[in-house]
Amino acid sequence: MNWRKVWTIARHEYLTNIRRTGFIIMTAIVPALGIIGLILTVLLLPRGEAVAAWLERQFDVGRKPIGVVDRSGYFTPILPEYRESFVLYEDPEAAEAALRADELQAVLVIGEEYLESGQITALTRESFGEAALADSERVRTFLVTHLLAEQVDPALARRAADPLGNLQARILSETGQERGGGMVFTFLIPYFLALFLIMTIFSSSGYLLQSVAEEKENRIVEIIISSVRPTELMAGKVLGLGALGLTQVLVWLGSAWGFTGGMATLLALVGSVGIPARVFILGVVYYLLGYLLYAVLMAGVGALGTTMRESQQLAGIFSFIAFIPYMLASFVMINQNAPVARVFSFFPLTAPTMMMLRIPLGEVPWVDIAGSIGALLLSIPAALWFGAKLFRVGLLIYGKRPTMREIWRILRG
Amino acid sequence: MILQVHHLTKQYGDLVAVDDLSFEVEPGEVFGLLGPNGAGKTTTIRMILDIVPPDAGRITVLGGTPAAAQPRIGYLPEERGLYRNVRVLDMLVYLAELKGADRARARQRALEWLARMGLEDRAHSKVKDLSRGMQQRLQVVAAIVHDPDLVFLDEPFQGLDPVNVERVKGVIADLRQEGKTVVLSTHQMNLVEVLCDRILLINRGRSVLYGPLADIKRQFAPHAVRVRAPEIPPGLPGVVAIEPKDGAYDLSLAEGTAPRDVLRALVDRGVDVQAFEVAPVPLEEIFIQVVTGAQDESCAT
Repeated sequence: MNWRKVWTIARHEYLTNIRRTGFIIMTAIVPALGIIGLILTVLLLPRGEAVAAWLERQFDVGRKPIGVVDRSGYFTPILPEYRESFVLYEDPEAAEAALRADELQAVLVIGEEYLESGQITALTRESFGEAALADSERVRTFLVTHLLAEQVDPALARRAADPLGNLQARILSETGQERGGGMVFTFLIPYFLALFLIMTIFSSSGYLLQSVAEEKENRIVEIIISSVRPTELMAGKVLGLGALGLTQVLVWLGSAWGFTGGMATLLALVGSVGIPARVFILGVVYYLLGYLLYAVLMAGVGALGTTMRESQQLAGIFSFIAFIPYMLASFVMINQNAPVARVFSFFPLTAPTMMMLRIPLGEVPWVDIAGSIGALLLSIPAALWFGAKLFRVGLLIYGKRPTMREIWRILRG
Repeated sequence: MILQVHHLTKQYGDLVAVDDLSFEVEPGEVFGLLGPNGAGKTTTIRMILDIVPPDAGRITVLGGTPAAAQPRIGYLPEERGLYRNVRVLDMLVYLAELKGADRARARQRALEWLARMGLEDRAHSKVKDLSRGMQQRLQVVAAIVHDPDLVFLDEPFQGLDPVNVERVKGVIADLRQEGKTVVLSTHQMNLVEVLCDRILLINRGRSVLYGPLADIKRQFAPHAVRVRAPEIPPGLPGVVAIEPKDGAYDLSLAEGTAPRDVLRALVDRGVDVQAFEVAPVPLEEIFIQVVTGAQDESCAT
């Protein structure tokens, strides 16, 4: 294996394809999206609270007021700020009637000796314990505020009633403190990250395919084959275009880094999710193994086609197979260790995509990780052998695509 | 010898493409590799270039194995093409580098040959922007840009206009002058006659004619002389037929009559002999005779 020639081929493939408009556009998409996102969030920041409140109202179920029968005297009259959600009733029967009539969510009966004994009854129509609990924050602040109202400074009363109202969540990570993200970001960002990685694998493999099929269609392949060994040619293309894919990923990661760094200092509203080192390292491993497997198979299969279109059709099967985990994404998101997810993790052609979907979602059994990597490490040499043979012979067959029988004969040697 | 082929055999399923073929090529010569379509010429070339492995036989080229010789061999295939979207000079340098040439040297040689082929102002154009004739010339340059010692040209004249045919002939002459060896495979027999020193005619994978062109022509020469004179007197001794041909006369001789006897007879009769030679037989006729003769043979069996 003449590595100098492999380098020459790799460099040629890299430089030729990095100038393609398609590649430049695709690589620029992520920074472009980042810029758009930045602009949007800057525009929305002054109205951030209004946006948050609006979002909250979209998810609000609508609540009825709570009836209060006050025998202790501390809650009569009800303070102005609570009058919308709490209604005072002199007469317990009246309150019950209103509850039966569905005008109230619940009735709170506060006992005469409430201060000493804490006696308080909550009456609801169904055993909707949840409903009562959901409102317990409001009920708690209602009770505390009223109890303290006459005794202490109003500001103290308010703080005592709602000590955690302005809680800021932060996560301690390797690098320091990160802002706590919402559920949305924990799911979506890894999902899109994995999706982008898959996209680079397939765009690089696509260029590989194109390069092989083009040389065949151009008929220049015969001169090439009289200059280098087929394995050197294949290695050069796989490595050169792998480097191209990596370049794309680095541009994306770099711009994402720059943007989240920028956003974190600018905004308090949007959280960014720190990617744990474990996810990152495994992501790189699966990316490299996944690319090697697909690239080699694509090169071999691509060499069988007689025209560019044919080669693309043949290779399309692999793209489809690799995408199966994404079709199952909704199941995997619910439980990343579901049996269906585990099965696809061990099958080499779906392992990279499935694992990259599972790992950011939470703990994955190390058996799955070791097993899927093992399966890939075993299948890559097999694919290399298979692909190289197809490559060697396919390159010189013009005019008609070999039949399955002929392919079988070729493989047997 | 620069190339030695011993008992070379290659089979594809039931088809025997090359059948126990043996021949040699001398350094510095122009060797004609001839044969009808499907005779096995391209398969033979591919085996010498280590593109396809032989089933049996041995090939020694440039003192070593085909694999070792690859960097020093140039190849213009019959099914040929070029990169489309790359610049002319970049493509030539890349192809030379694939052959193991040094970058700077390759660039220099590429520019030299582009100039020789009248393409120097197209060095930085994209290949697809060149006219068809220019691309054809470029293909020839691509085959020799890495300064090979042995060059295989498979149907180099195919599709060329007369001007470009002359250009390619010029290239072959230049290569010869540089001491390179050329193996020329073509159907254009008239060009073979002009260019080649020795030939090998293959039919159905087997060698049917092999050796110096002059010897072969002599072997097939009809017992006749060609005389250029105003007229030929009848009744010359030993002349059985007189046929006008190409502005001269072909005189068929009886067995036992030597050409010089006829010359003496003509001079004695006072004929104004302007030219006299043993009648040449065009290689084309030899080709057809040998190949169809073999066809008939096989039909008979």
